Amino acid sequence: MKEGETTPKAILDLDRMVHEPARLAILTVLASAEEVAFLFLQRVTGLSKGNLSSHTQKLEAVGYLATLKAFQRRIPVTSFRITDDGRAALRLYHQQLRALLPKEGTP
Amino acid sequence: MTTPDLDVLGALTRDYAAFQSRKSGLATALGGLMAILLALAALSPDLMGARVTGRLLVEYLVWMPFLWLALKWGVGRVLYRGLGPVKPSPDAAYERRRWFWIQGLALFLLAFLLAGLYAFASGLMQVNPSRAALCPPPLWMLLMPFLYLLPAPWVLRGIEEARAYVVLVGQCMLWLVPFFLLSFWPPRSASLPADWGRFGDLSGIGMVGLILLILVWGALAMIRGWREHHQYLAILRALPRES
Repeated sequence: MKEGETTPKAILDLDRMVHEPARLAILTVLASAEEVAFLFLQRVTGLSKGNLSSHTQKLEAVGYLATLKAFQRRIPVTSFRITDDGRAALRLYHQQLRALLPKEGTP
Repeated sequence: MTTPDLDVLGALTRDYAAFQSRKSGLATALGGLMAILLALAALSPDLMGARVTGRLLVEYLVWMPFLWLALKWGVGRVLYRGLGPVKPSPDAAYERRRWFWIQGLALFLLAFLLAGLYAFASGLMQVNPSRAALCPPPLWMLLMPFLYLLPAPWVLRGIEEARAYVVLVGQCMLWLVPFFLLSFWPPRSASLPADWGRFGDLSGIGMVGLILLILVWGALAMIRGWREHHQYLAILRALPRES
């Protein structure tokens, strides 16, 4: 197999927890800041409340993000923070995807 | 979702977090405007010579930086409440620069305080007995520079804000320093009394330098604050529409 040629295994090795577009967007946003409020995350990703909650729960279950709950002037504020595992998974996913994509100019 | 989309998401988040950590924008512009207006008022012979010699007005003016802090807080609450808190990733270089500015502010104020106290202790006030009714300034005015320092570490979150605060406090020093040193020279007098000698020349040059610094920094604060406000609006416009 030539260099750059993709194998089915390489594609299957992609972390599906990260590969899903909504979760990829969530992790990308979280990786760009230290802590992100639910409202901003919802608005920037364009997800509905329920959808966002569902995806963040899945990411939290595998340890890719941590949920933080606090009160600001008696109003509950939910924020998220990417974990080291989440950051590592996102970095690995970028590397894998870059290796899978065809080089510039290749049909 | 394509790679450029992910880049845009990351950039939007970083920009929004950077702004959220400061929430200055229009408040910075307002600080610059207030400083410029007051500096121009100080330069006006009518204001400086005839009207703004009253102790009461000076006492009001020295509260100006605190008025700005209150306005800044109000602007942040009303205009920049946004979409919840987003903490930026730690930026060591920015933190170093931020502390340089805040420490610079502290040194700047302390230098003025020491100059004021030195002159006060040297009995320079006695040179101008006709203005003796204005002296000595009350103790709280002598402590004013310390009061300006107190909120700095908690309230000034960005470099732009620290600059605007320095400009505004510098502006108030324009009023405090004459109060300390000269107890206001006679109305409409173009130069300091000869008795002040070299000290008078130096303090006069220092005042002109301070006024120029305030005008330049005030203008920069206005431009930067206005630009930052528009950048914030651009971030909000760039966010996807709510579904």
